[in-house]
Amino acid sequence: MADIALKSTNVTKYFHDPVTLPVLKNISLEVKKGEFVSIVGKSGCGKSTLLYVLSTMDRDYEGELEINGLKVTGKSLNDLARIRNESIGFVFQFHYLLPDFTCLKNVMIPALRLGKLSAKEVEAKAYEKLKMFGVEEQALKKANKLSGGQQQRVAIARALINDPAIIMGDEPTGNLDSKNTGIVFDLFQKLSKEFGQTIISVTHDEDFAKRSDRIIEMADGEIKSHG
Amino acid sequence: MNVNTEIALTYLSARKKQTIIASLGVMFGISMFIFMQSLMKGTNDYFEKMSFNNTPHIRMYSENKVADNHMMTSFLNDPSVKILTNPKQLIQSQGLTNPYGIIREISSKPEIANVTPQVTANVIYTSGSVQINGNVAGVNIDEEDKMFDVQSNMVTGDLHALNWVNNGILIGRGIADKLSLHTGDNITVTSGTGSPTIMKVVGIFATTVKQIDETKSYANIVQAQNLLGKDRSYVTDLKINLKDYNKASQVARDLETMTGYRAEDWVRANEQLKAAFKIRAIILNSVIGVILLVAGFGIYNILNMTIYEKIKEIAILKAQGFSGPAVTSIFLQQAIYIGLMGGIIGICVGFGITYMVSRIYIGAGTLKYLPMSFYIPHYIEAICFGILTTIAAGYFPARKASKVDPVTIIRG
Repeated sequence: MADIALKSTNVTKYFHDPVTLPVLKNISLEVKKGEFVSIVGKSGCGKSTLLYVLSTMDRDYEGELEINGLKVTGKSLNDLARIRNESIGFVFQFHYLLPDFTCLKNVMIPALRLGKLSAKEVEAKAYEKLKMFGVEEQALKKANKLSGGQQQRVAIARALINDPAIIMGDEPTGNLDSKNTGIVFDLFQKLSKEFGQTIISVTHDEDFAKRSDRIIEMADGEIKSHG
Repeated sequence: MNVNTEIALTYLSARKKQTIIASLGVMFGISMFIFMQSLMKGTNDYFEKMSFNNTPHIRMYSENKVADNHMMTSFLNDPSVKILTNPKQLIQSQGLTNPYGIIREISSKPEIANVTPQVTANVIYTSGSVQINGNVAGVNIDEEDKMFDVQSNMVTGDLHALNWVNNGILIGRGIADKLSLHTGDNITVTSGTGSPTIMKVVGIFATTVKQIDETKSYANIVQAQNLLGKDRSYVTDLKINLKDYNKASQVARDLETMTGYRAEDWVRANEQLKAAFKIRAIILNSVIGVILLVAGFGIYNILNMTIYEKIKEIAILKAQGFSGPAVTSIFLQQAIYIGLMGGIIGICVGFGITYMVSRIYIGAGTLKYLPMSFYIPHYIEAICFGILTTIAAGYFPARKASKVDPVTIIRG
């Protein structure tokens, strides 16, 4: 069991507005460490909702969730924040960088929050991550001065700064052209193969999904195939 | 530097204009606080000092009393026996019995700094055909000067002349103006019980109180006794100054029980002054409160706007593992820095305004410049109030920010 990064058991979730409606029905899934999983499905099938439940940000569900063998269901908000900070990295469709900060600071902030390394060490590490994505030249520019592709690469570098066990993507390439999509995909693959990081990504991009290790297909709040 | 602090400072410096406007609000509040407190304390101190120029800490005098039967009734067990001591029917001595014995007795008490006897006589001043009413204070002028700083009120003449000029008198400027008198002129003074006496004006004084200047004069205590046709042991008042004037009401009560005469402390004698202090304090404090409230709303507004604008960033910070308290700290710190900045500038501006106003020439009576106090605790209070206001104003937006639900915001 030690190689299970994330496990959900009978996760069920309802939307209450305007009427109570189940969006996730008894979802049970396991993701191994170092696995690169894509979740696909039509719009409204509940795949993003599932991702936010798995991310610990959404606590309004029934069932149980384990991350790295640790039960996270029912933990306090502050504990969950700490868990996210330490072991989950996020990449969203939009970059969501903080525009008032330089790219370097944006990357550094989660690590400074974690507080395990000194500011100097964090800075060195942030540079290293930016270099991985070829945006080290932009390090000292304000985040809003970059092109869309560069911003998304900085955002991914930010997701990786604390070397999280799990990286979650909500359509991470949704806003990128094919060239940048390729770069991001190669990096994700490298992270899972070489660094053993688990990647769970919701995507509409069929090419992207096909090239990942496993595809989980969803429809109407249920998993149709575990791939 | 803590990462929360760093984010707070970056947000503040990214919105310089708003930050400056918010801290200007605080600055305004704090500088007004300091200015008004200084003015209030300055004037209060001045008036308090002024009142001690005319009033002793305790004045002891004999009061006209209507008969009090209860001692005799309880002794005789017969309420039909009456004492007739109503001053309307029976003339009582206005003076104190054995005044110098009382003085000796009182002076030995440790709280007492000075005791001086006084003979007060209601008189009519006459010069030519003009007459005005007034009163003569028969005093030992050296002691009087020591206690009430008569010298600082002198316009012309020498107050010590009372000691050696026979029939000398110091008159208020109002009397001098009405009777058109100068130092060296003669004045006729008539009391109700004595014969008219011609006295020589040896000096003219002016307090800031018109009523005193138009009625009061000083003479040697022996002269006043002569005016009234009384003997050398006739004393109407004892003026008592204490080492600590705040104990006046306590000491006055003790003296009343000790001597049986009425002892009036300065607080009771100046009740209208105390009431004025209180009213002034209420007015000024409410003005300051309103200013700080407005400044607080400014901060509240600006932080609220920041939070609306940054709601996505807050959601992202939370997604990245910033807990609710961390987000609260980021926004509360912004409020505190605005408060600190405004507070420090406010203290400097407040000092500047206070200093400038203290140089404004007023020239009313003995008051040359506006009395302003430079009292350090005001400055400490001001900065505490400023920071408290900003914390109170920042707390609600910060709490709102901490409650942002990242899922709803990020998913849109």
